Amino acid sequence: MATSETDINRRRAVTQLIAGAVGVASMPLWVQSLCAQARAEAHTPAAQATASAAVWSPSVLTARQNEAVIALTELIIPATDTPGAKAALVNRFVDHVLSTADAKERSEFVRGLTWLDDRCRARAGKDVAGASAAELTAVLTPLAAEGVPAAEDAPGIAFFRAIKSITITGYYTTEIGLRQELGDDGRMMLGTFEGCTHPEHQ
Amino acid sequence: MQVITPPKVYPVIVIGSGASGGMAAWNLTRQGIEVLLLDAGDKFDRSKYWTHVTPWETQARLARGEKPETFFLDTKEQPYVTPNDRPFALTRVWGHGGKTNVWGRVSLRYSDIDFKAADRDGWEISWPISYNDISPYYDQVEQLIGVNGGTDDSDVLPGSKYLQPPPAPRCGERLLQRAMGKLNIPVVAGRRANMTRPTRGFPACHYCGNCGNGCDTASFFCSADHLLPSAVQTGKLELRSNAVAARILTDESGRAAGVQYFDRRTGSDQQVRGKVVVLGASCVDSTRILLNSKSSTHPNGLGNGSDVIGRYLCEQIRLNARGYLPALEGTPTRNDRGIGGEHIYMPRFNHRPGRGRDYLRGFGAQFWNTWSNWNGSHEGSDQIPGFGASLKRQIKRRHPAWFEIHPFGEALPYAHNRITVDPARVDRYGVPLLHIDYRVGENERKMTEHMADTIEEIVKAAGGVLVNYKRGDLDAMGSAIHEHGTCRMGTDPKRSALTAFNQMHEVKNVFVVDGSAFPTATEKNPTLTILSLSWRATDYLAQEMKRGNL
Repeated sequence: MATSETDINRRRAVTQLIAGAVGVASMPLWVQSLCAQARAEAHTPAAQATASAAVWSPSVLTARQNEAVIALTELIIPATDTPGAKAALVNRFVDHVLSTADAKERSEFVRGLTWLDDRCRARAGKDVAGASAAELTAVLTPLAAEGVPAAEDAPGIAFFRAIKSITITGYYTTEIGLRQELGDDGRMMLGTFEGCTHPEHQ
Repeated sequence: MQVITPPKVYPVIVIGSGASGGMAAWNLTRQGIEVLLLDAGDKFDRSKYWTHVTPWETQARLARGEKPETFFLDTKEQPYVTPNDRPFALTRVWGHGGKTNVWGRVSLRYSDIDFKAADRDGWEISWPISYNDISPYYDQVEQLIGVNGGTDDSDVLPGSKYLQPPPAPRCGERLLQRAMGKLNIPVVAGRRANMTRPTRGFPACHYCGNCGNGCDTASFFCSADHLLPSAVQTGKLELRSNAVAARILTDESGRAAGVQYFDRRTGSDQQVRGKVVVLGASCVDSTRILLNSKSSTHPNGLGNGSDVIGRYLCEQIRLNARGYLPALEGTPTRNDRGIGGEHIYMPRFNHRPGRGRDYLRGFGAQFWNTWSNWNGSHEGSDQIPGFGASLKRQIKRRHPAWFEIHPFGEALPYAHNRITVDPARVDRYGVPLLHIDYRVGENERKMTEHMADTIEEIVKAAGGVLVNYKRGDLDAMGSAIHEHGTCRMGTDPKRSALTAFNQMHEVKNVFVVDGSAFPTATEKNPTLTILSLSWRATDYLAQEMKRGNL
């Protein structure tokens, strides 16, 4: 079937319906793969055991890198009127995802973190773990910005995209994320199901 | 002198205890016929299901090392083979009740638009039955299993007489309904086998939405809860667990004489004798058993002189579209669990005047998770720009605004889409493995275009935004879990394997009552029709037995 003019117009119109111009699909393969790995791991027994262990130490990251990950995840999903990623122990989830990932993805992630440490030292004179929230925000803002990135920022942009996605996956699968932040009432036994009663949606 | 007791000959041996086999065993035993029921697995323990359990309690249990009941057969235990470039996602449940333990519960009657499709368009064969033949059985099945739905009948979706009240739509479903109304695309209340009223001693649904984990209150139909216990109570049922049926044995005349099975725990080779065999092991496994049942009278597999068994595999195609409705952003998070699936349904409409199409057959659509997800943030949350408090606020705002559209389309039956058995590759019992070769063709590709157009029209009219949408990107072959066609019924014994009563043309004392008997896939979910056909076939079987014809 030949593609008609109307088909092309329709498809052009459709692109306007699709969100995420800066989607993960434009990221390096290791980022896509690591983010998918995080989603696959989110509900596994191993990930949950990590999150609830009374005593825990990282299995992939160094103590200093773990401190950096705590700072970064908390900056991505901070405490507001509800607890943030630090309280939800998302750093443990990050380390767990890395422990289940391929060696290449793991090393790309760690390399990205090292790149960010270097950038931080250059801009603020401290590594990520040592920087203040304000200093770190200033370093991260250009890496998270939309639009055409500076070529020399590419490793940092990819790294930030990965840790942002893993943080979101991890945080919103915890009780803090689901119940306190998103407001799931946790009721599993209802006598009736009311459905939508809003006049504006009928 | 040694006394030799002749082995017991069961009046009927039923293979499989899911929707088809469970129904057969239930219907025969209640009519006083003794049945040996073989199931490849064991009983699942309903008291151990994680049904009314919050996501965070689920996590806490996982963290403590507890494990929920697992239903699905591991391919390490039972592999199957496909061509390298044509994967097929086969889902099997071995255990009492089979896939009805975790089925999607969508219960849509087929109509003459489905049964008589081939009469209209000439593609392959029509069903040997019409709606009038099966509708009394739909009536009985719906009353037995408890199906909810609306009264919005149509030529596509008839027969709402016995439906229980449907649950109210959620906010996103309301908005999609409104958008589809503007476009003149039909949308009705979903029809699903969740009991919204107490039924035959089972409590009504509690709206926990965890149906995929199995229901600890048996508030949706599962053969193991709703059929097998009453069959056992008749005293006429012998239920043998962990009996992996391998072959139907035949006598010199070519009639079925029994079943060979392997004990799943010990691997021992067993045989049982029966006068009649009813196959309800699922489309693919019943087909495998028939093809492996070769003998001098049935060199091409049991009852397969026509060479149709294994061919015409048809599995529905599906598109998946997901996104959010800005109109719902920032509304409060709701308890949207409901009956664990969407509360609305888009029946097929492409046959209507003015809906011109360049392909045969049609599609309907489901709307899966059009709600506030309770298992995490929605897909694409990581595409929201920035970080920090504003990102957190945006994710929360979008949370209740999620919608999904999943059109299911009929795939035509093709002779080359085929299940075979591979004598070179065998399972742990030495039984040849399934080989599944399945691909869709030009008709399905054209239908996919129309599905995508429909999705995009609805999203536009609803003011929605799609996330990670890839136009025309069909889900994995096999993922609808609606396999059909490989042992189809029909009037012509050269073109079909079964009669209109699911009896083999070539082997009168074998009946095949699962989805393999369907000549077409339709766009609808098959379990309600499997239950109805199995009931009808075993009524006929019982009658023939009483007349001395079997």
